[in-house]
Amino acid sequence: MIELRSVTKQYRADGGGFTALRDVDLRIAAGEFVAVVGKSGSGKSTLLNLVAGIDRPTAGEVRVAGTALGGLDESLLAAWRGRNVGVVFQFFQLLPTLTVLENTTLPMDLCSTRSPRAARARAMELLEQVGIADQAGKLPSGLSGGQQQRAAIARALANDPPVLVADEPTGNLDSRTAAAVLDLLAATAGQGRTVLMVTHERDVVGLVDRVVTLADGSVERDVRTPGARAEVSHG
Amino acid sequence: MASPRWTKLVRDVRSERGRLALMIAAIAVSLAGVGGVLGGYAVLTREIAANYLGTHPAVATLELEDGADAALVDAVRRLPGVADAEARDVIVARVRVGGDWRRMLLFVVDDFGDVRLNRFRRERGAWPPPDGTMLVERSAISMLERDVGGSVTVKTPRGAPTEVAISGIVHDPGLAPAWQERSGYGYVTRATLARLGEPPMLGELRIALAPEASSAGEIEARAEEVARWLAGRGHAVREIRVPPPHQHPHQRQMVTVLVMLLAFAAMALVLSAVLVATSLASLLARQLREIGVMKTLGATASQIAGLYATLVGAVGAAAVLVAAPLGVLGTRVLTGAVSRLLNLTITSDAIPRWVFAIQAAAGVAVPLLVAAIPIRRGARQTVRQAIDDHGASPDAPRAWSSTLPLPLRTALRRPARLALTLGLLAAGGAMAMTAYQVKRGWDASVAKVYETRSYDVEVVLSAPASRELVERLERVRGVRAAEGWGYAPAAFTRPGAVDVVRTYPDRGHGSLVAMGPPPGTQLVRFPLRAGRWLAAEDGGTNAVVLNHAALAQAPGLRVGDEVRLSLDGRPSAWRLIGVVEEIGAAGVAFVADAAFARAAGTAGGVRMLRIASTARSGEERSGIIRDLDRVLEAEGAPVESILPLAELRTAMGDHVLVLVRLLVAMAAILGAVGVLGLVSAMGVSVVERTRELAILKTLGAAPARIGRMLLYEGLTIAALSYVAGCALSVPLTMLVGGIVGNLGFLAPLPLVLSPAAAVVWLVLGAVATFAATLVPARRASALVIREALGRT
Ligand SMILES: Nc1ncnc2c1ncn2[C@@H]1O[C@H](COP(=O)(O)OP(=O)(O)OP(=O)(O)O)[C@@H](O)[C@H]1O
Ligand SMILES: [Mg+2]
Repeated sequence: MIELRSVTKQYRADGGGFTALRDVDLRIAAGEFVAVVGKSGSGKSTLLNLVAGIDRPTAGEVRVAGTALGGLDESLLAAWRGRNVGVVFQFFQLLPTLTVLENTTLPMDLCSTRSPRAARARAMELLEQVGIADQAGKLPSGLSGGQQQRAAIARALANDPPVLVADEPTGNLDSRTAAAVLDLLAATAGQGRTVLMVTHERDVVGLVDRVVTLADGSVERDVRTPGARAEVSHG
Repeated sequence: MASPRWTKLVRDVRSERGRLALMIAAIAVSLAGVGGVLGGYAVLTREIAANYLGTHPAVATLELEDGADAALVDAVRRLPGVADAEARDVIVARVRVGGDWRRMLLFVVDDFGDVRLNRFRRERGAWPPPDGTMLVERSAISMLERDVGGSVTVKTPRGAPTEVAISGIVHDPGLAPAWQERSGYGYVTRATLARLGEPPMLGELRIALAPEASSAGEIEARAEEVARWLAGRGHAVREIRVPPPHQHPHQRQMVTVLVMLLAFAAMALVLSAVLVATSLASLLARQLREIGVMKTLGATASQIAGLYATLVGAVGAAAVLVAAPLGVLGTRVLTGAVSRLLNLTITSDAIPRWVFAIQAAAGVAVPLLVAAIPIRRGARQTVRQAIDDHGASPDAPRAWSSTLPLPLRTALRRPARLALTLGLLAAGGAMAMTAYQVKRGWDASVAKVYETRSYDVEVVLSAPASRELVERLERVRGVRAAEGWGYAPAAFTRPGAVDVVRTYPDRGHGSLVAMGPPPGTQLVRFPLRAGRWLAAEDGGTNAVVLNHAALAQAPGLRVGDEVRLSLDGRPSAWRLIGVVEEIGAAGVAFVADAAFARAAGTAGGVRMLRIASTARSGEERSGIIRDLDRVLEAEGAPVESILPLAELRTAMGDHVLVLVRLLVAMAAILGAVGVLGLVSAMGVSVVERTRELAILKTLGAAPARIGRMLLYEGLTIAALSYVAGCALSVPLTMLVGGIVGNLGFLAPLPLVLSPAAAVVWLVLGAVATFAATLVPARRASALVIREALGRT
């Protein structure tokens, strides 16, 4: 489902380039729930951005959901991302002037995947799934952090993308709320979605299938965590 | 339910009502200007043509040595190529208004029941005028201070002052307004002319051609054929007058003025579009993160661009709706003012549709075009740039700029926006300074009228008088000095051909006279444009000096060239030795008086008297003029006109001053747009650096300090724009001064750079900048750190 082949990412900086990812190879199968961990500055967010098509690698190839991202121009990439990748941010990033419901229908509107009526129905369904259907008419500022992140997850799922990426989705939440949000992500992974999550949480091991540890831009360890979920085949 | 992205746009826009209203207002004002001027142009060019061509203007006037009788006119009408012909005459007479004598043109018409060419229309009163009475052109009523039923004293060159009743009012759209020409217009029969003491002879044969001639050159050629035919019949033609074909006397000036106004209105439109663009850039900057989120959710660059382009389009459309009626109003005001200025009757003030079409297209397209720059930029922003917050600022200052002072370095982070803001402010300032400097240049030009002339009264006789007259006048109380000059109507000629002059029948436009000043004249001193002025020994040579207006009639002449002139119909050849600039005069060819006497055959008689009086006020001068008039009458001198120099100044047309006022108004608008642009640019600058400023605050920077930082930045931009504006105002002043000067004086206005204007703009600019920076600086210093650093 996700495949990185000798991916290197360099940022242009004042004194020459800074290498954030160095020759990374990584394959993630469909339906896997993968946690990416590592020290600050190790390249986690960079990796996620490449997978989501938010940024492009300096070298190497990124294939996600059967598409080689290098072959798409900006517009195609945006349209592709809208349908194939759901993105969840640390700071929720709901649009402040739209209601929770409108925020959730937005991806369907942008990608023209559903009629307005069908989009609304789908959004309500998702909000119900994440447990905040009663907040649908409110503006994001009227919601708690946890509720906002649930709304953001509902929004990320709007177009039913095969891949979900989340960069420290619980970084801004207290531990109880964080646990609930992680459960929610695990549940979406359970529906056959590939979920790639950057996290600092210690106790995700029981929830995820696999933990990829980055250090200085390279994969330091790649550990399968047995038991938590059913066996998945690599492909 | 509307689609959420449009919902978002509408809601965002609602919270930006003030800024949006500002954009619409800025576009609407300038668009109204564009529409008003364009409409005025459409209506006025149509109406001026209708008015002028409606008079069936003669394409040529042949001046006969003897008069034309009905049989001759009939014969000319039957000539091949001649569509129509009519005999007329124009007498330069004088009229008494109050205690003063003014110039009065008497148009002599053979048969008021059969006016064929240069027609005029009865407005009220009698038609034809009973013998002994006259009709008056409507624009002359205020000058004569009399209306139908009243009477004025008229004196023709050969006649005695005679009381003439005004029996009716006519409108003659072929003439420049009387109050502008400082000349009364009266229409009389031959019988009345005889009563006024002139031979009732019609010396002008006016003709129209069929098929119509396509150029002035062809008209001349065909009129010369008629002249040859007349000469063959024993009717010598002294001169042929060919006015610019199909053109009202003031048409060219009007079009020039309108085009200039249009250029300024268009400039205002572009500047307000720039304002829209900077305002939009500020909106986009605040929405950068949201745009990034939308892109993450699958929005393409064109979807994002579409959203904001629609917004700009809507702003443009709203502005068009506001501007269209304002433009119509502007057109009405403009056509009203110009038709009064040019004595036109507006038969229809319908504004053609294309005016609205252009207005609408410009209102939507120009802002879109200019806003395309920030929109592209905003929409193209990559998601990572939009949502990633690596480093405190997305635009790291360029390495080379690190040697510059801090405010400049900050401003340089966005070179394109800096350029826009600078451009706006500089253009506003340059325009303001230009308007003021053009006004000063105008004043300087008018002042030249007095600087170059030391006489203040000018007497023109209809026939040469003896030189002793000069001594008589010198003895009149209040006369400091008097000079007698040779004076004769003149024309540039080609050997063997009839003299052709390019003048209108009102004798004012484009005419040429020859003057013979006494050697070493003390009364004039004109600045040289080329060559030299007349010297004492030139009396024995054929040296001629032309003024710039005369040179304009014979373009291409250079010092050293031969100049062929006819003086009072007598041909002579001269050598051009110099060109002078004489502001406020028609074409003049100056030759030494001895040479003049030889060429014009006046035997040393004088036809023009230039007198310097000791008068300090207009009233005192009027008294002296009355005394002069009495002496002249006692001497039996045939006075054509006595004019104080002040009259000349007024005749030059304070009306072009209207133009300068319009410029000032336009400059005010542009200046305002410039300041608004600065407000919005500073606003954007704060928004973009919210995070950076918040960090500064977290580190303990006092709010006042942050405010001061922004103020310095604003002032730096203002200072840069000030320098640019001052620099820009020089060529702009020259350009506008050139156009205005050529309209008013046939010479560009002198370039007067006004330090006062520069200082005023500096102070205004500083105050405006202060005000413009205040709001964003307040916002910046009131910024709550959590809000700025936290992200919802
Ligand atoms: N836009 C950028 N320009 C230059 N360097 C960058 C940029 N973005 C990231 N980096 C650098 O690349 C490295 C990896 O950054 P990245 O954001 O991927 O780290 P991270 O593992 O997500 O860290 P954190 O846990 O703190 O979020 C860092 O050293 C960072 O300084
Ligand atoms: Mg990170």
